[in-house]
Amino acid sequence: MFLQQLVNGITIGSLYSLVALGLTMVYGIMRVLDIANAGAYVLGAYLGVWGYTHTHSLPVALLAGVIGAALVGYLFQRLIYTPVNRPDDPIVPLIASIGLFIVMEDLFRLIAGPWTLTFPARLPFQRLALGGVIVTGSQLTILATAAVLFLLLWLVLNKTKIGLGWQATAQDTETSMAMGINTRAVLAFAFGMGYAFSAIAGILVAVHHNAVFPTMGDIPSYKMLAIVVLGGLGNPLGAILASMLIGLLEAFVGGYVGSSIPTDALAFMALIVILLVRPQGLFTSGGAAK
Amino acid sequence: MLLKKRFKRGWQKVKKLVLVVATLFVMALLITGCASKGGNQAQTQAKTIKIGFFAPETGSEAADGTSAYNSAKLLIDQVNSSGGINGAQLELVNYDDQLDTKQAVSIAQKLTTKDGVVAVVSGSYSGPTRAAAPIFQQAKIPMIAGYAVHPDIPRTGDYIFQQSFSGVVEGAAAAQVAKDKLNAKNVAILAINNDFGKTLVQGFQQQAAKLGLKVQDPNWFNFGDTEFTPVLTKIKDSGADVVFVPAYAAEGSQIIRRIHDLGLKIQPLGTEGLDSTTQFLEVAGQYADGLVIVTNLNRDSDQQVVKDYVKAYKDKYGHDPDMVGASTYDGLYVVINAIKKNGATPDQIRNGIAATKNFQAVTGVIQGYDAINQVIKPVQVQQVKNGVFKYFAEITDPAIITPPTK
Repeated sequence: MFLQQLVNGITIGSLYSLVALGLTMVYGIMRVLDIANAGAYVLGAYLGVWGYTHTHSLPVALLAGVIGAALVGYLFQRLIYTPVNRPDDPIVPLIASIGLFIVMEDLFRLIAGPWTLTFPARLPFQRLALGGVIVTGSQLTILATAAVLFLLLWLVLNKTKIGLGWQATAQDTETSMAMGINTRAVLAFAFGMGYAFSAIAGILVAVHHNAVFPTMGDIPSYKMLAIVVLGGLGNPLGAILASMLIGLLEAFVGGYVGSSIPTDALAFMALIVILLVRPQGLFTSGGAAK
Repeated sequence: MLLKKRFKRGWQKVKKLVLVVATLFVMALLITGCASKGGNQAQTQAKTIKIGFFAPETGSEAADGTSAYNSAKLLIDQVNSSGGINGAQLELVNYDDQLDTKQAVSIAQKLTTKDGVVAVVSGSYSGPTRAAAPIFQQAKIPMIAGYAVHPDIPRTGDYIFQQSFSGVVEGAAAAQVAKDKLNAKNVAILAINNDFGKTLVQGFQQQAAKLGLKVQDPNWFNFGDTEFTPVLTKIKDSGADVVFVPAYAAEGSQIIRRIHDLGLKIQPLGTEGLDSTTQFLEVAGQYADGLVIVTNLNRDSDQQVVKDYVKAYKDKYGHDPDMVGASTYDGLYVVINAIKKNGATPDQIRNGIAATKNFQAVTGVIQGYDAINQVIKPVQVQQVKNGVFKYFAEITDPAIITPPTK
């Protein structure tokens, strides 16, 4: 049972981390808490279903979700966040993002209807039974996709010009601009990539649950905030580790202690403890915690 | 610097303009809104009977709310197109409660003070329905709950009725099915932590104790939970042979899928919360086969009213109706029947509903209402076979289907 819950927890954590990464990448560079990122999660799922029903191919579905969400992320940044963002008032973009999220949710309901759509994609993996531990096909898919994307993100952030630009801008926007970094391109990159990650998470969850519905982003929209703060705002590695921590916490509490505490409250309880003990977040190195 | 100043001044101008436009817009809305309401009332009072309605038509349970509204609308259209009731047309005064008790309260106040309705049908969950009920009771306007199962609803007072059987009855019927039909020895419970889940678990535990059936401590989950592998791993190790799942379609379908994923050898036993083709069966897919549920609706019924409803709904909306829709349809059906038989004032409708006897509705024969307005009718047991709900059994034992009146 211990090993089984470990697998369960890491799977939950992997899903969380894909959404949390999008949020933390945007925060790192713009200091905006982007609730609408959870809208990209739902958008990805709907575009994925749309792509899948037309082609019956999971890669096409993923591609449709990624491209669509990245585009929306870019547009939101250009048309909404950049115009309303002022360094002295972080509340304005926050309210804008909440508004965007609500509008997106209601648009999905109006366009696709309130009913659940199914996403009966066939997964590339079969169920694995290792001793008493069962790793299901969708768990394997989630774990493999997350691993590939973590690696991809690490490569992009550390080996490409735009990724290094992101790191520099996250540390200090004005100095980066002075040093000749194209911060506009970096902004577009952060939003596009952040929304694309969320879209992939949305598609994976949609296939895992065989369900797409307008309000599927509700819980991610607030739980991700707890995770991102827990990991240290604007810190991708911290976001991944915090996601794993929360995933494992939920699995073990759900499996051993039972459900006297609502699962969704666990992330926030962890957050409160951390804010009391280590207000800069769990995994922040001194520099990025500005 | 200068640029910034100019920008600021420009921005302030825009702000002012926006403010003015917004104010004008709101005023226009208020004026036209009032005017059209007043006009309608004067013109149509004589010929229309207004029935209030509320359901969660947006928000997290928009699917159920829309099902409920669609069904109510279907019945209103059916009655109106066949000439209305003694020449009077029916009008549904529809509100969206967004599954919010505060909204439900203000809707109830509007319905009782402004809208001039003579009866109200709730197409909502137990929470909003419970919150709204005392206001209708006070205004002496009869309200019937379509599918809200909390036992406190009819206990609000003599103007409040429950069309669906109480959750206590449904839970007790489930325990009987577990023991007699599924030969359960050791039952695990995985229930949603709200009015609906708690009432069903209470009924199940009480009846199981009478039957000497071993029931484990319930595992609770919350509305919107999606991850059930951890708790199902725990149930797997507990040695249960039947798992009782009072859940809604969204969570229930995930539970069924994960039971299959984990290779659990366990018989799931659900409730009316899973009784939906679009929301449950299609999502759970082939893994739902074999699932048994206790519910309100028998889709296999050869009664004409059931066949007609299922066909009319599908023709109009393009997908199969569900328990929520059928139950709301029946709530309104009972009200309309009372108006036909007894008259259209709130008191006449109240007495008409209370006098209902052996009335064939979509969700079975309504034998009648007890002293505190709880419905007495058989509980349907259905099993999923090849992706369709099929007749499995019917619980008619008066000892089970008669709700407790205390």
